[in-house]
Amino acid sequence: MHGRPRKPSKPENAAASAAKAEKLCLLQSQFLSNHHNRIYTKEALEANAKLLEINPEYYTAWNFRKLAVQHYVSEAGSDPQAIKSVYDEELRVVEAALRQNFKSYGAWHHRKWVLSKGHSSLDQELRLLDKLQQLDSRNFLTWNYRRFLTELLNRSVEDELMHTEDMIGTNFSNYSAWHNRSMLLCKQLKAKDTGLKSKDILSKEYELVQNAIFTDPDDQSGWFYHLWLIDQTIKAKPPILTASWPSNGSELIISRKQCPGEHPLYEYQGLNIDLKEFPVILYFNQAVSGVSSSTVNVESFNIMWKPLSPCNSLGSEIWMAYLNLAGEDCHFEGPVSVELCIGQSQGILSSSGSPYSKPMHIAFTVTTEAIRLQDSGGHNPDMMSWEDPNFCADEVDPRVLNSDVPFIEEIKENKESTISEWQKDTICREIAGFRDLLSIKDYKIGKLTLARLLMADDALSYPYGNVSVHSCEVLELLKDLTKSDPTHSRYYEDHISLVLLQQLTSSEEMLRRHLFCFKGANSLSVHKPLCLRLNNLSLTCLGSFNKLLGVQMLDLSNNELQSIEGLEAMQLLSCLNLSKNKLGSFTALEPLRHLSSLKALNVSDNEIGSHSIDTRRYLFSSPLSHNESVKWDPNLVPSDAANPTNYWEAIMLFKALKLTQLDIIGNEVVDDRFSSFLVKIMPSLVFLDGQKLV
Amino acid sequence: MASMASEGLTVTQRDQLMVEQEVGKIYTHFSELPPSSKSILLELQRDEHLEYLTRGLGILPPSFASLDANRPWLCYWILHSIALLDEYIEPEMEDAVVDFLSLCQDPGGGYGGGPGQMPHLATTYAAVNSLITLGGSRSLSSIDRGSLYMFFMKMKQPNGGYRMHDGGEVDVRACYTAISVASSLNLLDDELVQDVGSFILSCQTYEGGIAGEPGSEAHGGYTFCGLATMILIDEVDRLDLPRLVDWLVFRQGVECGFQGRTNKLVDGCYSFWQGGTLTLLESLHQLFHGNGLSDSSQSDASELSGDEAHATHDHSCSGHGLENTTSSINLRDTSYNFIQGRRKGGPLFDSLALQQYILLCSQLWDGGLRDKPGKNRDFYHTCYCLSGLSASQYSTSKDFDSVPLPQAVLGPYSNLTEPVHPLHNVLLSKYHDARDHFAIH
Repeated sequence: MHGRPRKPSKPENAAASAAKAEKLCLLQSQFLSNHHNRIYTKEALEANAKLLEINPEYYTAWNFRKLAVQHYVSEAGSDPQAIKSVYDEELRVVEAALRQNFKSYGAWHHRKWVLSKGHSSLDQELRLLDKLQQLDSRNFLTWNYRRFLTELLNRSVEDELMHTEDMIGTNFSNYSAWHNRSMLLCKQLKAKDTGLKSKDILSKEYELVQNAIFTDPDDQSGWFYHLWLIDQTIKAKPPILTASWPSNGSELIISRKQCPGEHPLYEYQGLNIDLKEFPVILYFNQAVSGVSSSTVNVESFNIMWKPLSPCNSLGSEIWMAYLNLAGEDCHFEGPVSVELCIGQSQGILSSSGSPYSKPMHIAFTVTTEAIRLQDSGGHNPDMMSWEDPNFCADEVDPRVLNSDVPFIEEIKENKESTISEWQKDTICREIAGFRDLLSIKDYKIGKLTLARLLMADDALSYPYGNVSVHSCEVLELLKDLTKSDPTHSRYYEDHISLVLLQQLTSSEEMLRRHLFCFKGANSLSVHKPLCLRLNNLSLTCLGSFNKLLGVQMLDLSNNELQSIEGLEAMQLLSCLNLSKNKLGSFTALEPLRHLSSLKALNVSDNEIGSHSIDTRRYLFSSPLSHNESVKWDPNLVPSDAANPTNYWEAIMLFKALKLTQLDIIGNEVVDDRFSSFLVKIMPSLVFLDGQKLV
Repeated sequence: MASMASEGLTVTQRDQLMVEQEVGKIYTHFSELPPSSKSILLELQRDEHLEYLTRGLGILPPSFASLDANRPWLCYWILHSIALLDEYIEPEMEDAVVDFLSLCQDPGGGYGGGPGQMPHLATTYAAVNSLITLGGSRSLSSIDRGSLYMFFMKMKQPNGGYRMHDGGEVDVRACYTAISVASSLNLLDDELVQDVGSFILSCQTYEGGIAGEPGSEAHGGYTFCGLATMILIDEVDRLDLPRLVDWLVFRQGVECGFQGRTNKLVDGCYSFWQGGTLTLLESLHQLFHGNGLSDSSQSDASELSGDEAHATHDHSCSGHGLENTTSSINLRDTSYNFIQGRRKGGPLFDSLALQQYILLCSQLWDGGLRDKPGKNRDFYHTCYCLSGLSASQYSTSKDFDSVPLPQAVLGPYSNLTEPVHPLHNVLLSKYHDARDHFAIH
């Protein structure tokens, strides 16, 4: 459709031009009459060739030639010489046409067709191609033809790599050449029988691209290729399990609170828990598919594994299942031992097809302690308040301080890194190289690349996230970039948030600084609930969930959050404070839909309803793409609502939750009508914006 | 590689620098003008463009010979451009175009590049879009939908892709033109859609954009074709959308226009191919709505007078639900549903900057639009620069057909072009007329 060459129009007199047009008209009508009457004489073919030479886009004429060729080939019988000359004539016509317009789809396609018949010598092909690639080194039809021809000639990947190297040598800005190189290397990396190791293949590439980048750091092609190269180097091959909840060897104690004559209530760490839906969570270092009751076996429990955060049907990093610990009469005595056997049978696969290859067991026990209460006061939830005086750092249960932080549920054994020597060496060499480059001149893309390399080094060396050596340096680089390149500050701020969280969760010592004892509610609880307070950190997004799977109470207030993507991993979350952030819509809260334990939610002082446009939506894996239908009553939405979408989105979100307390004041969307609407759609709600509902 | 350093700039860099200088000169000159002159410079030269376009419908000079196999394209580029400018052509000319395109229609279905030529998917798209743009019963009834469907089936390949024409090449262009036409003409069904999504998916590259065929480089034109196809067949969530957005947003360069591929020069036609793709992405959540809450979430609550909603719902159940219980989506409605919802996503690109490039760098004062300064005008670039202009003017509007705010339109408000259906690139009003027409037939 596009890119017809514009030949410089020579000053021609009108008469000559008209004569030319007349000739073309004649050729066309001749051709069409031959085509429709199936006349394949020599003269017909000659006229056709002339037509195509003038206008190679005439695809019908190419098809006519295909029919004519079939006619002549069948006439030639078994005379190989005659057949060859028929096809050679075709190559000549195509070549003449390509000289007129090498962007013609039809001409290239005809050439492919001729060559695929296998009667022509292929010697000239590369030379012709080289000539045309010199004319336009980025034409994608010639590159497509090159890939076709390479296949046909069975040309070695090495030879083709040499060719791209030549092309890059002439013009290292030619991204088509870099792209073809990446395609060739992918082929080489996939073909395992060549004896070449990824190490040998990729090391050379770093040299090449460094040359290009260092020659001119302002050219983008090299950087893009470098990014691809890092990706290939650090690509995690077999998936590994980086965390689980409960963790291996843990002994969970569930409190059974019972008042005389009433049903018992169960608590874990001071917060209510549903015994019928006791969550078990597996966290992998990359999205996997195939987690099922046959690949992850749990003895004597009938379970269904389901993926959290589905992304492009590639699988999920997080998988969860519910254990039903309650007996038939809904009582639980315990103790019960649970053992998960992961990966005994094949089937767990990464998105690139690597199988999970490290069979392991995770065993934990659940026991109960009985607490007898005198009256039933504990059954009615108290309103909880997130005010600072309710949190206390020094009253954290000494049992907690002396043992592991209860929700750092990581894989404790076999924590060795899966990185190979050369990967480590390569990344270290690149880090050193870019430090050199940056010491000469301040390139923002250089800084970003260095930050990416340092992050990759940490991720590779410590896949379980228990150490982060470079986080301080990365934070500094990113903060620099935020200042020097404000246009992309949002991007840098997101990365700062992720690195910061990684740093905070990398050790128990660091994490303890953010642990508080909550003493604001439910005085009848024996255990004071623990709260993780990550407030006032300027976080714009969230991460490091593998370290936080067991968190029940989380304070994220006073940040800059626009997204809470990934929060669905925290399945035990019961109380969540998101107040004073920048959440702009109900769709931004979509991850909460998956948190069935959530009871108290504070989203006050955000920006829900302030934005007429919602930029979060398409960045979500699937805002409302689920196929389940929500039962709704159209009368719930006021017919004159200014923006009914807000109401629908609120229904989608809150219908999935069983909140007892919601704080939502301080958002544009909230008015009296909206509040009464919320009360209607959430029958479980007891407190709304600090008021007890009657 | 030592040679790199000694040679200084690469050809690519030199060309890029020249374009930047050229564009820079235009913008510097512009910025130094008093406001009154500025607003004159930003004016869309409607009359001049119309004159240039209308001339194209008549007899063309011999230099157009290379388009002999693309004559329906000429019709589409010119007619659609005229329509974007809210103008009409003479009724006699309209009849002449319908007659001419009928001559291009093959008895076996589909349209060829000219009378007597083989049917071809791209020229079929151009012809059908032209006829929809002309509108009216005579024009729309001239399309033989029955044989066209047979032609589509003949072009369909086992790998899911489509062939451009009998014996022709298989690529993403072919998929888009087939699916878009089938959708406009109310012909889209499960058989046409079978495995198309998998073929498109195999063309998304590691950069995030979509290539013409597997193994090729990500490219603006194919990215539009690929994404629009995926939306029309309701499989858009199979694509890696964040990566696609990532690739696209970096294609708008310092010149304010878009480039088609990584490290290539800016070109006005990508105002539509890339800019239009971004406006598609901005609206994608409507598709997600379309799944669960189906009709109800898309219309105003006030329109939900129970009966009407139920009637629509029942209809879609009986229409499609019987043979395919897993999918609640009626393929015949995907295109329509897409433009029904409110547009809430956005802005993913600098739409005023793009308008600036189109008006100051692509526009010629004596009519027609072009690739970039220094190039000649042509109908192809005129069509896609104007289509890009329309896409960016409407990119911040809430609904696809609601009138943009004055601040969304660069230059005088009279620059406002007509709204288009972003999946087919025909005027929205014409799309609706065609939909009504083909719903009955």
